[in-house]
Amino acid sequence: MNERVIRGRIDRSGALVSADAPLLRLQQRAGAGLDKPLALPHLARLVTLAQRLHRDISRPLYAADDHSDIHALVRITPDADGASLEITDWRTRPLVQPQMPPIAEGAVVPQSWTWECDQQLRIVALRRAPDAPPVPEGWEGCSLSEVFELQPDDDGRFPVLRALARQARFDGQRVRAAQTGMILAGEALFDATGRFTGFRGSAVAAEAQPAADQKAGGALVDPAFGSLPLSDPQFGRRIDGALRGPLSRIIATAETISGQFDGPIRADYARYAGDIAHAGRHLLGLVDDLADLQNIERPGFKAARDEIDLGDLARRAVGLLGMKAEEKGIRIDAPRTDDRAPAYGEFRRVLQVLLNLLGNAIRYSPENSQIWIRVDREGGRATVTVADQGQGIDADQQAVVFEKFERLGRTDSGGSGLGLYIARRLARAMDGDLTVDSAPGQGARFTLSLPARDVD
Amino acid sequence: MSESVFSPGIDPPSPTLSARLRELADYLAAPAAGRLTEEQRALSLGIARRMVADVAARLDPAIDPAALWHEWLGGGLPSATRLAGVCFARAEEHRWREQSAQRTSPPPLLSEPEAVNDEAAAVGETLSDLDRAYLAVQIADRRRFDALGNPAIAIADLDSETFRTLLLDIAAWRLAEVSRDAKRAAELGDAVRAETERQAAESGIAGAGRAYFAALGTDAGEAAAAAIARHDWPTLLALAAAAHGRGYDDMALALLTAESAALPPLFAPLRLDNIAIAPIEASLVMLPARAVNGADHPDFRSAERAR
Repeated sequence: MNERVIRGRIDRSGALVSADAPLLRLQQRAGAGLDKPLALPHLARLVTLAQRLHRDISRPLYAADDHSDIHALVRITPDADGASLEITDWRTRPLVQPQMPPIAEGAVVPQSWTWECDQQLRIVALRRAPDAPPVPEGWEGCSLSEVFELQPDDDGRFPVLRALARQARFDGQRVRAAQTGMILAGEALFDATGRFTGFRGSAVAAEAQPAADQKAGGALVDPAFGSLPLSDPQFGRRIDGALRGPLSRIIATAETISGQFDGPIRADYARYAGDIAHAGRHLLGLVDDLADLQNIERPGFKAARDEIDLGDLARRAVGLLGMKAEEKGIRIDAPRTDDRAPAYGEFRRVLQVLLNLLGNAIRYSPENSQIWIRVDREGGRATVTVADQGQGIDADQQAVVFEKFERLGRTDSGGSGLGLYIARRLARAMDGDLTVDSAPGQGARFTLSLPARDVD
Repeated sequence: MSESVFSPGIDPPSPTLSARLRELADYLAAPAAGRLTEEQRALSLGIARRMVADVAARLDPAIDPAALWHEWLGGGLPSATRLAGVCFARAEEHRWREQSAQRTSPPPLLSEPEAVNDEAAAVGETLSDLDRAYLAVQIADRRRFDALGNPAIAIADLDSETFRTLLLDIAAWRLAEVSRDAKRAAELGDAVRAETERQAAESGIAGAGRAYFAALGTDAGEAAAAAIARHDWPTLLALAAAAHGRGYDDMALALLTAESAALPPLFAPLRLDNIAIAPIEASLVMLPARAVNGADHPDFRSAERAR
């Protein structure tokens, strides 16, 4: 549990008048700032509730920034001038959580025992199925290896010990217990602070274990680092679950250090921590891209055909990235509210493409420059063009800019080299295209075209 | 309901009709009170079934628990009122723990064996008295599940009167099933006495909690705060029950039905401040269909509406 308390203060009108850095950053990412109304809807509702009840309340708080969900606990103390906020247990977490299946979810295997041990492999539970051999007396608190005589696998290894080191699930641990051969499998257990607390699993009589189970178990020896092929549809989900959690923790911890929330540290150390957080966010972006890549390269991938308006989507993209542009003094000339370009395409995928194009434009534009976004219609195609005043791309580079992992020789940590590749794949999956028009020194113009939609 | 809900002269009702009318009468007596959800009903029923099977197995391993349960389901559980409290407390605790487990952050992932943490390195170390007491709490808690991880009630956790009543009810059923000969009755009577004595000598999670609390001494508050941080609710409940000198089930029910304002007094003996208690309040408030004391209070209703 993160014991640090993040404090904030709301005035009588509901504006955030003071806030520790993480809360302020969240407020800014939501498009507001200090002395502006609280822009985090869940927190705002809780503040209103506490004020209406005239008493302290403690509630879980859910918020999200552009990288991850944030889960924390907030205590709100209302008073005559507003309310004080104390936020604890601030955690960033992935959007999808790998859940550990309960024991009951597995097939009921005859002649089996179920067991649980703590992090030091001391048995805290041992039960048998009705037709299984009786469990030995006096198992309580004994070491796992006292109850089960561990035997090495064909490589001379002990899966349970390897799993203990990795704090991961294991399968296929051969043991002898109650004068019979058994196979031990277990899930790693963790508490709410992420601390490893032990294993829970089953011990199945060796001859009773179904062959299919063994095969499935072998394929799942290690959910994160097993030799799963890229074509496996499970792979994306697993890599996502395996990397997002640790990366989110690295970022959160590095940001904590970098923000010097627990007290001042040397400036260069704080800067290093900032670099770690930055690199972590980059890696998290890469995980997003890889998950996307895995998804769109699946045979038969097809985007939805929503009725969309490219003008509306372009304005939304500007709303989401406007702050980032402002930081560099970049002005974005967005389509006017009456500029419309009705089209067919999947709403969220088109927004994703536009965010990628606009994000690139902001990243590679000089400070205090301008970016234009225009929508248009050419025959049966509706188009949206993002133009910047960056260095531009020469003809050779234009030929490869949409290729996988192509970063045009850039070595900064700004991108994965997958964004434009994914964007074009998405455009084509929506029966559209993504093209570039540029010359060195004259900026770049990326145009997304989609099937136009006629509006009566 | 002791009084009849039927007019004189009407044929005796079927058990189903009778049960429904009783339920309706209860409903009419308190229409605004929240009812059991299907999940609460199913969990409590499953816990009762496993408890009856466990007690029956102790009394006489030859008893067919399925036949016993089938018959009791048809005719109603004897001493149902007495069982309701313990089964409901266990079911609510289970719901709470399940919810917490589902909301737990994903575990860290270590890639290499070198990344093994200090705790793992400590495998095989000799246990201190305090660690042994904590381990005993863990073991006592895990006895409160069946082999498939379903919630159950350990016989050692039952109060002696409930256990004895259950034994006698099952013995009566068994006697009616096999024969009424005096020898069989005497054997069952002996078994009831032996099992009652055996159960009285057993120590369940409440006893383990008391021992852990005693071993902690002045560090009990700190251990309770750590249990809260880990969402280790059984350890927290065991410590709180020991600090209050109450039973574990009693403490669980008190906590799970407490409104927010009632939480600080429950943890006052452990000297936990509001910040430490905040995760409990936050976790409880997310548990749907909780039978909260003071649920009719206007503050509670407005809070519910706001959610």
